[in-house]
Amino acid sequence: MGRYILRRLISVIPTLIGVTLVIFLFQRLIPGDPAVAMLGEHATEENVARIREQFGLNRPAFLDRDALAEGDLTGFFDSQYIRYFRRLVHLDLGDSIHRRIPVAETLKERFPATLELSLLSMFFALIIGIPAGIASASRRNSTVDGVTMVGSLIGVSMPIFWLGIMFIMLFSVFLKWLPSGARLSTGVEIQTITNLLLLDSLLTGNFAGFVDALKHIIMPAVALATIPAAIITRMTRSSMLDVLQEDYIRTASAKGLAERVVLFRHALKNAFLPVITIIGIQAGTLLAGAVLTETIFSWPGIGKWVYDAILGRDYPIVQGVTLLIALIFLLVNLAVDLSYAILDPRITYD
Amino acid sequence: MTDNKIENGGFEDFAVREHRSLWLDAWRRLVANKTAMIGLIVVVVFILSATGAHFFWEYEARADLDYNKKLLAPTILATEEAPEIHLFGTDKLGRDIFRRTVHGGWNSLRVGLVAVGISLSIGGILGLLSGFFESINMNFRESLALMTLMGAGLGSLPAWIARQPMQILLFAGLGVASVLYDRYLVDRKSPRQLYFAILGTLIGGIAGILVGFWVAFVCAILGLLIGLILARPVGGKIFSSIVMRAMDIILSFPSYLLAIAIVAFLGPGLEKGMIAIGVVGIPVYARLARSAVLSVSQKEYVLASQSVGESHGRILFRHILPNILSPIIVQSTMGLANAILSAAALGFLGLGAIPPEPEWGAMLGDSYKYLSSGAWWAVLFPGLAIVFSVLGFNLLGDGLRDALDPKIRA
Repeated sequence: MGRYILRRLISVIPTLIGVTLVIFLFQRLIPGDPAVAMLGEHATEENVARIREQFGLNRPAFLDRDALAEGDLTGFFDSQYIRYFRRLVHLDLGDSIHRRIPVAETLKERFPATLELSLLSMFFALIIGIPAGIASASRRNSTVDGVTMVGSLIGVSMPIFWLGIMFIMLFSVFLKWLPSGARLSTGVEIQTITNLLLLDSLLTGNFAGFVDALKHIIMPAVALATIPAAIITRMTRSSMLDVLQEDYIRTASAKGLAERVVLFRHALKNAFLPVITIIGIQAGTLLAGAVLTETIFSWPGIGKWVYDAILGRDYPIVQGVTLLIALIFLLVNLAVDLSYAILDPRITYD
Repeated sequence: MTDNKIENGGFEDFAVREHRSLWLDAWRRLVANKTAMIGLIVVVVFILSATGAHFFWEYEARADLDYNKKLLAPTILATEEAPEIHLFGTDKLGRDIFRRTVHGGWNSLRVGLVAVGISLSIGGILGLLSGFFESINMNFRESLALMTLMGAGLGSLPAWIARQPMQILLFAGLGVASVLYDRYLVDRKSPRQLYFAILGTLIGGIAGILVGFWVAFVCAILGLLIGLILARPVGGKIFSSIVMRAMDIILSFPSYLLAIAIVAFLGPGLEKGMIAIGVVGIPVYARLARSAVLSVSQKEYVLASQSVGESHGRILFRHILPNILSPIIVQSTMGLANAILSAAALGFLGLGAIPPEPEWGAMLGDSYKYLSSGAWWAVLFPGLAIVFSVLGFNLLGDGLRDALDPKIRA
């Protein structure tokens, strides 16, 4: 098992290098000169040259064959990509072009907001999806099943940005029950510990703060949870249906066990593996879906930030956020793979 | 006298069932499925209205502007105050939303078809080939082609460094040699790794000497490595794992984000959106096609056609391809739904269709900013159009899966 974990961890490295390569290539594909983009249209030529020198933009992309031909072996490896990679190893994501602040710093500040939103959405998706899937599988072809299946198909087909807009229209514009944006109302203070506001307000016993934070997060979280909830429902249902046809389920029912015991003790445990896989995949989708949800709800997380950066052509931010999300996605899927071994003792790794 | 009985020699054939093809069977099951038929109807209405609007209902997006009709609520009947009927109301520029929604369908349809076309053709072919060669050994010619390509591909790096295009040919030759070695010099005990390493070093180094010492040094090391890689002909399994690893890299970007990133770097526009959504979908089809080929290629009919010596091309296209079509058809239908959704998301973020162009996502993106004015119609109807068309394709895809799935076929 230990060796398997190690091997899986090592196998992430080539993929991760590939990811950095793809992100780096994006930068090369930008039309126009990044130095001019930094300084603006009216920059003098000397300034542009200085910036190009400072950021290594005058270096070749991958390898410098001219330097090698002149006998300079270290110059051969002094390229933009290798500089970029070396900076990444030191957790330096570069500076934002417009605000000149290190990307990593802002990321640290904004990521908790996205994390909180994603975690709460995943929580909603799970508490809706799994029971709905079980109910629908255990009463196959009943009304419950039909309603759940149609509902989950509508959920899968839902553009979350539209759903978010509809929520705002209904609950903020017409009913005026919930605020339409931001994490907290002005004037409400929550002492920050983890920067996850719901958790922080509970830890500090700030009940009013908790309610306010909850009022702000509930709409975006539900909107973001729609698609994962629908997908988890469908997966739980089909996986449960497979398991419910097994002989041991029939045996368990035949010997007179309560339906509840058969469903939860015998069936659910065995049906859970494919569900876990889909949950892992949805985790990445949640983070990416945050770009849309956060834009609508003015949620100060990385999604809104990267959207503004895309519009402002602030590439270091786009690269940094993309890399972070890809990394999380890879790690979550790794965790999913590892959890197989815990959930299913029949799976051995050697 | 064209009676059946006479033609059959006087006997009526009771025992022979009416001939039904697989596709006809699937079609009948599809028709019997109510939700699938709803999906089919929605899809047909969507396609007809979109193409019909595009070809027969003239609409000049650039000229469509009338501030006098700004933000009118939907009307069904013409009255004194509002003589014109706006079924879905008008937007902030006084444009009729019904008209724009119908025309927007054409853009969504286009994006969907082109994006799925890109993912399906590239992903499908990659998946087909990697699944095929993973389960069936390459023959001499295929091995030769793959190794030549690999030699040339790997050789292009030292060739680029040393500016010696000749090296590409030499390394390709090394790849060919590796295959020939296997076929004609069956002496298994010879240290072939050593031979190839030396050859690779020489090819890399000699060309480099013409330029300078360090170039020769680096190229010789690269040549040594390439020689070691080429020493044994690469089997189909390695080919497949290289392809799948590349797919993993694409998959490790959550799809929306990758599409957004691609468009962000290519610049906005419907065509670029199509490319972005298409590229993001490639791994899905590659994985699907590969796993379908893997399961089919162990079937008796494939083994049989192999043993009677049918060519690989014939096995692939006559025996394997028809049998993996159903999961691919289902995935493509669902993929259309996904592509429409992604295109709308891109449009909403201002990265899809360029403004006056009617596109559902972009219409939402324009309108949601003045939501507080209470103009619910400007966001409701384009959104409903997205939901209905996506739902239609999803329902149809679901029904197709049930209709084509051999497991529930009695």
